[in-house]
Amino acid sequence: MAMTNDAINSDELVVVATGLTKHFADFVAVDNFNLEVKAGTVVSLLGPNGAGKTTIVRMLATLSEPTSGSATVCGYDVVRDADAVRGVVSLTGQFAALEDNLTAEENLLLMARLRGYSKRTATRIVEGLIDRFDIGEFRDKLVKSVSGGQRRRVDLAASLVVQPKVLMLDEPTTGLDPRSRQVVWSTIRELVQGGVTLFLTTQYLEEADALADHIVLIDHGRAVAAGTPNELKSQIGDQRVDIVGIDANGVGLIVEALSSNFQLVIDHNRRTVSVPAPHDLADLVAVTGALARVSAHVDEIALRRPTLDDAFLALTGQASEPYQQDQSIAEVTP
Amino acid sequence: MTMTLASMTRPGDEPLPKRPASMQRFFRETWLLIVRGLQTIPRVPQRLSDVTIQPLVFTLLFLYVFGSAIHIKGMSYQNYLLPGLLGQSLAFGVIGAGVATATDFNTGVIDRFRSLPVTRLSVISSQVIGQILEQILGIVIVAGMGLALGWRPHMSPFGFGEFLLLMLLGLSAFTWFGVLLGMIVKSSDAMQGIGFAIVFPLSFLAGTFVPIAGMKLVPRTIGDWDPLSALVASVRHVTQGTNTSGSWQLTHPVVSMIFWCVLIIAVCVPLALRRFMNAN
Repeated sequence: MAMTNDAINSDELVVVATGLTKHFADFVAVDNFNLEVKAGTVVSLLGPNGAGKTTIVRMLATLSEPTSGSATVCGYDVVRDADAVRGVVSLTGQFAALEDNLTAEENLLLMARLRGYSKRTATRIVEGLIDRFDIGEFRDKLVKSVSGGQRRRVDLAASLVVQPKVLMLDEPTTGLDPRSRQVVWSTIRELVQGGVTLFLTTQYLEEADALADHIVLIDHGRAVAAGTPNELKSQIGDQRVDIVGIDANGVGLIVEALSSNFQLVIDHNRRTVSVPAPHDLADLVAVTGALARVSAHVDEIALRRPTLDDAFLALTGQASEPYQQDQSIAEVTP
Repeated sequence: MTMTLASMTRPGDEPLPKRPASMQRFFRETWLLIVRGLQTIPRVPQRLSDVTIQPLVFTLLFLYVFGSAIHIKGMSYQNYLLPGLLGQSLAFGVIGAGVATATDFNTGVIDRFRSLPVTRLSVISSQVIGQILEQILGIVIVAGMGLALGWRPHMSPFGFGEFLLLMLLGLSAFTWFGVLLGMIVKSSDAMQGIGFAIVFPLSFLAGTFVPIAGMKLVPRTIGDWDPLSALVASVRHVTQGTNTSGSWQLTHPVVSMIFWCVLIIAVCVPLALRRFMNAN
């Protein structure tokens, strides 16, 4: 089956969602969500916990029926042709969905057999996956007794047994240590090079930035912004100079030195003063000059482009996961 | 992840399997999923304790602790108790099936099966059949233990067939009921708690250990109309030929038991299927 090659035809729309909406009793989990995913790309749904990411993925994977609106995957309607959708989509949920009391190898074999392969073909496929995901050393261990990172690898391998055209990963690295996260990321990158279309949800900006071609920012069940990582960054303005003070007094001195000539954004929590820098180095020199005249001590000074954190803060009014404590700290001086 | 991209075996290189006719698919998938359940048993043998150790303890406790003080007119306590215990183990199947279902539905593994191109009916029927197999094991253990300790059933070959059919009907009804409860309750701890809170008292009121006729007014009235009483009375009727006195359902236990089981199946199967197909 030449699915991996077909998928590289990049004009083909693999996922199309139109007005997708899901209510749970009175609660609107997903509100009029629209999306187009081109073949061979990586699209990331980025949003805080409870934003509706998982519900969207579950609807696209036919596990949950939309209250209204529609969606197609590879041209199949997720409600009317649910069985056909299940043949082209593979979902890896937030919690590795494996049988705890079977070994890694038995889990993979079960998936391949359920997909309809004969015992012999299933064994061949599983051997390939065990090599590819470095599962060999723990293939005979019960899944409940392997590490979180190993479990994820088995989980990813299991989702490839079905030869998906679209791989959906719901928060693939939540709860993993940084090393395992790197391993999962590199696995994901290899998959994408192999031509799989990837639909990924995450609450980590870093992850979306590292993996995705296209990011949809969602909050309270609605898409609040969409674009490439660079487009999203540019939506919230230019680069700027960030000055980090040594302590609160230091920050005060920096503000004093700069406030007459520059427009400042001060984040006391991070002891950071930001100055818009549309003129790159010229602005950096002006800022450092002003600071040098009052002999201000700084911890760090840098010219930087806005991060997705800034985009998130600007577009949803709240910080993304790792920086939640900083909400509503920023203030603007005249 | 030490391999280079070029040396990888891509699953995409394997031709996709042909899709056989849907009936054939259903049986194949159900079988694969039942085997998956059975495969896990040797890894967690303690999971079977509710159909192995628990009935053994019950049999011994009641036979030798309470049995020494309970005297049933016209028959040995073994012959009175064992049919009751068989009925009770059917009822306890509700808890077993419920806990297993709640556990399965919590781990996400069912979601994965549901997101595969697998007939959904096979996922739920494998769950039900797997549970029935476990309960049969429990019933065989109770019956074997009873026979070893002096239980003497009086059954013609026809009566034995009737007994097997009744047990199978009861198993199906109570297992489906348990599967439905497990899907509704979702947490296995809660299922365990709720199951015991309901099934335990009902099974004691059902004339399992002492005759209902000798109870005080309130427990007697409950026992008279407790569906589990019909269950116990009918097992007693087919295995010993004993008639139970009391309400209409106790004097016509076999008809009543068939009625209750058919009612449970008629209500639970459609609800469980609907819940499973449209689960959110």
